[in-house]
Amino acid sequence: MSIRLGRRQFLMGSSALLAAGAAGIGPAWAQSPLRLIFWGGQARADRTYAVTDLFEGAGNPHVEGEFLAWNDYWPKLATQTAGGTAPDIIQMDYRFIVEYATRNAIAPLDEFVGSTLQLSDFDEDQLEGGKVNGQLYGISLGANSVATLVNQSAFEAIGLAVPDNSWTYEDIATYGEAFLSAGNGMRAMSDGSGSEPMLDNWIRQRGKPLYTPEGKLGPEVDDMVEWFRMWNDFRDKGYIVTAEDQALDNGAVEASMVAMKKAALMPSNSNQLVVHQSINDDTLTIASYPRIAPGVGGGHYRKPSMFFSVGGSSANKEAAAAFINYFINDPEAGKILGVERGIPCSAAVREAIAPTLSEQDQIALNFVANLGDLLGPLPASPPNAAGEIDTSLLRVLSQEVAFGARSAEDAGQFFVDEATAILARAAG
Amino acid sequence: MAVNAAEAAPRDAASGNSIWSRAWQNHAPGYLFLLPWFIGFFGLTIGPIISSFYLSFTNFDLLTPAQWVGTANYERMFTSDRSFAASMRVTFTFVLFSVPLKLAFALGIALLLNRGMKGLPLYRALFYLPSLLGASVAIAILWRQIFAADGLVNDVLAVFGIQGPSWISNPNYSLWTLIVLSVWQFGSPMIIFLAGLRQIPQDMYEAASLDGASKWRQFWKITLPLLTPVVFFNAIIQTIEAFKSFTPAFIISGGTGAPINSTLFYTLYLYNEAFSFFRMGYASALAWFLLFLIACFTAFSFLTSKYWVHYDD
Repeated sequence: MSIRLGRRQFLMGSSALLAAGAAGIGPAWAQSPLRLIFWGGQARADRTYAVTDLFEGAGNPHVEGEFLAWNDYWPKLATQTAGGTAPDIIQMDYRFIVEYATRNAIAPLDEFVGSTLQLSDFDEDQLEGGKVNGQLYGISLGANSVATLVNQSAFEAIGLAVPDNSWTYEDIATYGEAFLSAGNGMRAMSDGSGSEPMLDNWIRQRGKPLYTPEGKLGPEVDDMVEWFRMWNDFRDKGYIVTAEDQALDNGAVEASMVAMKKAALMPSNSNQLVVHQSINDDTLTIASYPRIAPGVGGGHYRKPSMFFSVGGSSANKEAAAAFINYFINDPEAGKILGVERGIPCSAAVREAIAPTLSEQDQIALNFVANLGDLLGPLPASPPNAAGEIDTSLLRVLSQEVAFGARSAEDAGQFFVDEATAILARAAG
Repeated sequence: MAVNAAEAAPRDAASGNSIWSRAWQNHAPGYLFLLPWFIGFFGLTIGPIISSFYLSFTNFDLLTPAQWVGTANYERMFTSDRSFAASMRVTFTFVLFSVPLKLAFALGIALLLNRGMKGLPLYRALFYLPSLLGASVAIAILWRQIFAADGLVNDVLAVFGIQGPSWISNPNYSLWTLIVLSVWQFGSPMIIFLAGLRQIPQDMYEAASLDGASKWRQFWKITLPLLTPVVFFNAIIQTIEAFKSFTPAFIISGGTGAPINSTLFYTLYLYNEAFSFFRMGYASALAWFLLFLIACFTAFSFLTSKYWVHYDD
């Protein structure tokens, strides 16, 4: 049997197909809702969508949200930007904001400030963090700080005072001995030698930035050799976890050294206390990163945890700015969002939500609000290649040193040479 | 006039001299049904392949237009890229060990299953099961647990008084856990071997045993030579699969190739260049070199096949 199809039938059939396709897509074009994209997990999505519903209920346009995990988010956003289909509202990170702003992939918001965007009681340092070349490209959704995650129960169980914001690198030795003699298999601390935030904090206390405002590397060979030597010493004496244990930490919360009960302390962030507590049956708290000597501060800064930016090609910039304004200023929205994206930057919102916060949220809020002399200036946003230097250089080198494949001296020299080469390649 | 168009069409074709128009007439509905596939093939497969070839000669970060850099990407690969060298080492080690081991294992199990035992379909399905789960995320996570410091493997070793290392996080062993994972997924070559074994005429074995040939000798002189076409097929398929292996290393190392780049597979490195560091141009060049490598391996296999593959006709 053979099927015969005349030209006419063919044309009719295919145009019917096309028509059906167009009908399916049509309504989506007609409404033109605001599109929002952000990274995060289900908990963040639930809070965010509750706010978009509230926004819509107040007679505003519909906001069509989409969320992805951090790793999937950036390829997707870059692809959409390249294809000219970037969403109206884009969650942006401090690491990428310069890149997107200088390529006009996100729009300056200065024209809306004072009218659509009310920023009168917004924290000044957080506002500064969203500026590129003097123009406002991102509105901070919360302030964060690096923090040491502390297993409070473990400290109390062996009769040690829980570290507070005055603790130093020297104390790692004291705690290390105490945990070794307790002999319960838990070490005092995780191996911080491959942690970029920890290196950043340490080098800032020594008066140098990790990256200069010109995008050059801050630390010199001597600094890096000392850094690797210090951790070697802790590792050799058993104060921190073994190289094999540390290598199990692949970045997932449940694979971290505190979650696996291999260490009582580890570098983390103030907003991550909540998620770590949710999977740990011990009581956790946070303290500052250790000081290099008693009384030395200036390593910490209040980092904008993430921004909302408006897509450079958005046809609804004004409406997008109105949504951002609602998101950061509305007290009801603030109560829903809590401190999940960091400490809110509007003083009025902070006041409104304080009574509604959970215990861990209160700890995080108080920590970020009371950094005192630990606080230094907000560093320049890092150069494009910072991510690569972190993942393919610092972490690999720290493992090579930890497993004994490379000496601290060698690693220090290699880090500076290679990081300089990576920075030059990215700039060229 | 228009009403007649439909009937007119076949007559035009029938009276036309061109063999092509008649062929088109006969096959048009077929092509029509194939249209979705053609659109996908040209739009989503061939198109990107061609553009990736162009991009491999450019710098492209998705946000700004691609810049032509000539062969700089290819030069960098062989002159100044340490991670490229590391990923080649890891990938070749993986291919050279996992493929022969996997084939040997698959053949061994296929021989066992081919002895006409009861409940064969059940055993066959059970042995095939790992291949179905194969490259899944769940298995990669399970592997992490089995080979962790306090995992199943070390629990078993502890019974014999051996204190095992943390296999997946020790750079000396981590690649081997992935090789073992790959060998464990021997199901699909095993099924193909099993089918190949069924093709071997039983009278050859009968004749051989009448002549007093041992089982061992029968295997080397009858089974293996007659099975070589199947071995050849399996070897090529598995080699290509091994070169392309990605998921287990990605999941087990969290996408980093850790520890110390010991599981930095070529594909993982390519992925990171493209989607972590947004160097689409360089990643495209890496992809084309991988294609070239696989093509070389396959061509080499075909060229040497006439010396060791026996087709019985």
